[in-house]
Formats: sequence, C-alpha cells, structure tokens
Amino acid sequence: MNCDIVFLLPLFIVTIGAILLMLLSAFESIRLEVASALSVGIFALAFLVQLVPIGLTDVLPFVSIFNGMLAVSDFTRIASMIIIACGLFTAMSAISYFRQNNFGSLEFFSLMTFAVSGMLLLTMAQELITVFIALETVSLSIYVLVGYNRRNVLSSEAVLKYLILGAFAGGFFAMGIALVYGALGDTGFAAIAASVSRDGLLHNPALAGGLLFILFALFFKVTVFPFHSWVVDVYDGAPIPVTGFMATALKTAIIAVLANVLLLAGDIRESWLDMLFYLTVLTLFAGNLIAIGQNSLKRMLAASGIVHTGYLLIALIAVSGDQFSGSVILYYLAAYAASTLGIFASLSYLSGTDEKRKEFNDFSGLAKVRPYSAAAITIFLLSMAGIPPTAGFMGKLYIIVTAYQGGHVILAVLGIVSSILSMWYYLRLIIAMYFHEADDLFETSGSRSAPVCAFILAICVLALSLYPVAI
Amino acid sequence: MLSQWLFYAFATVSVLGALGLILSRHPMNGALWFVVTLVSLAGLYSLLSASLLFALQLIVYAGAIMSLIIFIIMFLNIQPADIPDEKGKWAYLLGGCLAVIPIGLLLLKIVSSLPEGDVDIVGNGFGQVKSVGLVLFRDWLLPFEIVSILLLVALVGAVVLAGKKEMTQ
Repeated sequence: MNCDIVFLLPLFIVTIGAILLMLLSAFESIRLEVASALSVGIFALAFLVQLVPIGLTDVLPFVSIFNGMLAVSDFTRIASMIIIACGLFTAMSAISYFRQNNFGSLEFFSLMTFAVSGMLLLTMAQELITVFIALETVSLSIYVLVGYNRRNVLSSEAVLKYLILGAFAGGFFAMGIALVYGALGDTGFAAIAASVSRDGLLHNPALAGGLLFILFALFFKVTVFPFHSWVVDVYDGAPIPVTGFMATALKTAIIAVLANVLLLAGDIRESWLDMLFYLTVLTLFAGNLIAIGQNSLKRMLAASGIVHTGYLLIALIAVSGDQFSGSVILYYLAAYAASTLGIFASLSYLSGTDEKRKEFNDFSGLAKVRPYSAAAITIFLLSMAGIPPTAGFMGKLYIIVTAYQGGHVILAVLGIVSSILSMWYYLRLIIAMYFHEADDLFETSGSRSAPVCAFILAICVLALSLYPVAI
Repeated sequence: MLSQWLFYAFATVSVLGALGLILSRHPMNGALWFVVTLVSLAGLYSLLSASLLFALQLIVYAGAIMSLIIFIIMFLNIQPADIPDEKGKWAYLLGGCLAVIPIGLLLLKIVSSLPEGDVDIVGNGFGQVKSVGLVLFRDWLLPFEIVSILLLVALVGAVVLAGKKEMTQ
C-alpha cells in the first residue's frame, strides 16, 4: 500500500502542478519565465520520483479502489520518463520561443502540463473508457496548444483540421469501446485478453471489429499511413515548441497504448499481422515520399515523423508478445524524442521573429555564423537519419535486428532501404548549413534556455548510444 | 412486442434526425434536427430501463445544451448570404457513402453477431439514481474522477481560445 502511492506519485505531481499553474495564470504579475521555471521544476520532480524501479510484471496500484484500471510496470515507467522529459525540454525551449513570438501566456504551461498528466494516465490505463478519457484530455489540450497563435491563419487552419479529424477519430474510438462492451460486457484489458486467449479473436466479430476501430483511432494519432494526411499541415501550423511536443510526447504515449492493446494476447497481433505489415511498409515509404518533396523544415520534420512511426510499427510487429519488456520500442522512442526535441529546441531559438525562418534555404550558412548551433543541429539530424555514433543509429539497429530475429526479413530490409532514402532530406539541411554562404545574421532573442536545452539533448543523443539494450 | 416496435420507431427517427442534421443548409435547421435525434435517443434509453439516463438526456442534452447551441446560432445571426455555397455537395456525399460501404458491411456483420436481448422492464431500482451512483462511485471511480481533469482542460482551453485578443506581455 505504501509503495502504491510512490508508483502513482509522478502522475499526482504533474496533475497537481498543472492545476497550480492554472491557478497562477489568474495573476497578472507573474511573468512567463516564472511559469516556465515552475513547470520545469514540476517535471524534474516527477522525473526523479519516476526513477524508482517497479519491475517487469504489472503492478496494480490501489486495486480495490481503482478496480485494476491502472497498471504500472517498468515499461510504463520508462515511457512516462520519456514523456515527462519531453514536457521538461518543451517548457524550457518555449520560453526562448516566446521572446520572439509575442503570443505566449501563462496558460500555455498549464495546458502542456495537463497534456503530460493525460499522457501518463494513457500509459498506465488498463481499461478502455479510462484510455478514452485520458486520450481526450491529451487531445483537447493539444488542440488548444496548436491554435495558440490566434493571429496566424495557418495556425487556425491547423487547429480546425486537427479538431475535426481528431473528433472523428475519437468517435471511432468510442464506437470501438461500445462494440467491445457489446461483445464481452466488460471493457477491461484483462477481460479482453482472457476472452481472446480462450476463444481466439476472430470467433467474436464484435470484439474483433471493436478492437479494429480502436486501432484505427490510435493509428490516426500516431500518423500511420492511411490516417496521416493531417500531420503535415497541423505540424506546420502549430508553434514550434508545440510541434516538438506533439511529435515526441504524444507519439510516446500513443505507442505505449498501442503496445498495451496489441500485445494483450498473442492472437490479437497474429490476426492482423498482414494488415500491420502492409500498413508499416506504406507508412515508411509514404512518409519518405512526402518528406522528400518538402521545402519547409517543419513540414519535412512532420513527414519524417511518419517514417519514424513506421519503424516503431516494425518493432511492434517483431517483438515477442510472451516476454514483452518493450526495451527496443522504448529505446527507439527515447532516441527519437531526444533528437526531435533537440532540433525543435534549436528551431525555437533560431527561427526568429514570428517564425520567419522556416525553409531549408533560410538556414544557409548557419555554420559560419553560429557554429555551435549548426553542430548541434547536425548531431540531431544525423541521429534521425541513423548514422553512428548516435542514439538514432542504435535505435534503428536494435529494431532491424529484432525484426530479423523475429523472422520478418522483408521488414528489416525495407527498414534499411527507407533509412537510406531518408538521408536525402536530412543531409539537405546539413549541406545548406555548411556548404552555402550566409546572407543572414541569425539574430536571436538572447534567451539562453533553448540553447542549453539543445546542448543537454545533444549530449543525451551521444550518451544514449552507449546505453546497451537487451533484445 | 410493443417495445420492439417502439425500438424500431425510435431508431428510425434518430437516424432520420441525424440525416437531417447533416443535410440541412442552415445551422438552425441542423440544430433543430439534432433535437429530434436526442429525444429519440432518450426514448431508446427508456426502453432499456435506464430511467436516470432518460431524464438526463432530456434535461441536459435536449434541454440545456441544445438551447445553448441555439442561442449561439442566434447570436451569430446567420443570413442566407453567410452560408457558403456548397458546390458538389451531393457528389461528395455519394463518394463518401461509397467509401464507407466496407465499414457498413463490417458493422452489419458485427451487429448481427451480437446476442439478442429483451427489452422488458428491469426491476430492483435498476437505472435509478441510487444504483447508477453506486456503480459510478464504486466500480468506475477512476474514470469518473479523471473526467474532472478533462472538463478542467476544456474550460482552460475555451478561455485561452476565446479570451481577449490582446495577449499579456
């Protein structure tokens, strides 16, 4: 009982912190820097508490009160740590961003902290209605964050697109829950797993259909191929720190839910192996194709996020369900989050007033004017492209080795091919930064928090690559 | 037998209301069609002996929320000239319908596999305030509590998006 509270303490800290930040937003005398520092402090505290190990098997905290609707294990612990770290670095880089983009307000940090608390719930939830409410909490706060700059037409377009499509996906999720309930009379993961391992998935059409709808809704959130069309416009319209936050924290949370659902029982994954296989291949190549055609940096990063989702799907297909530790998936998520957040932190610092630098050409010659920034961006880009000695390389290596060992040779080969294709658009920026003359002074706000953030993340990217993972 | 006919009647009317909602040009007509759907859904709840849900559906949804929506539409004072000219609306609708046929077939198969239930009145206070409250606060405590966070986020978000245009700092 005493331990139970420790397991849930990060969630409590983040939620109480969000409410505190919300109350502070009512005071006009509080400056943005204070709110940012406070949210960094909340995330750091939650991160430290989250370091307490739990163990590989699921622990149900307060089982008599929550009826087993929450479960924690090392998988949810590490996923939560990644999410909390994403929140921390976003709060740090946002303050540099708001120096030059004059639409920040205190509620920004409150909403972001609420989103993180919803994501922590998402990783732990073991029951579909809880998942749905947590998912809607996350989505609602992110809709508002995407549309935070109300003077920008692109931003309004992005929030409208995301809101309508997201509501549609939410509707699918709710219908899926209804069908699962119709089939089993229960919405807990334990009941679904028991039913599937007893009778198989496809003997119960309502259960299979319900889970399929739920999968589609989750695929929409992580931009798997046929549900990816919103991502480029929404990432483009959102403020830079929010884009980074969506690309990393949201993806980590949803992938954790996907892993929880897909690996409930071996039969769930087996029944949809063909569908998952084709979706993965199409996600990898559609993402690459879209990314190659982009001239704007944010749009390219959005499209490359689709490709990274493809890699995570390879891992989800290949990991064995009976002894799931998720280490490969979590390692890839951590590596991807560090490099993506790093690049968005650098962009928050460098993009200038009202995000005026957004295309590849706008960053020509950056290395001559700001050599350290250019070096940091290069490290992040190399990590995303998967070039040693970065964390991104090791992440891709682990995933491809897992796929090979799991007998998915075609996926392993296609993963390598897609990695080579992705060099095209990552190296383009490096070439622009290093081999072109500078015609811009790259003036910045002088705020040091985003550069510090990028520096820490660059070290993380290099240090993570030394961290061994048991496959 | 009667309850089965009632079920078909309510189900048909609710689907018709939903169709009217998406097909009517003026938002006000759409809102009024939506009331039809909400009321017939309340009828379906009453067939399931969910008396509390029936009352809430009528009071909260068909009553309070719909009047709020209608107030807002009236505030906006939408003239026929303000409504965008939807060219190719029917073509899009037809295309959309064709696209969702596979999902419709899947749903038909699923629904036909669901076990049949009878719609007799369940006794023992089923669906009344006390029994719903007990289930809500005993078995579903966690979702019930986190809904409060969801509502808080919605509130803060509405304040941020609809607040005054001048930003602080």
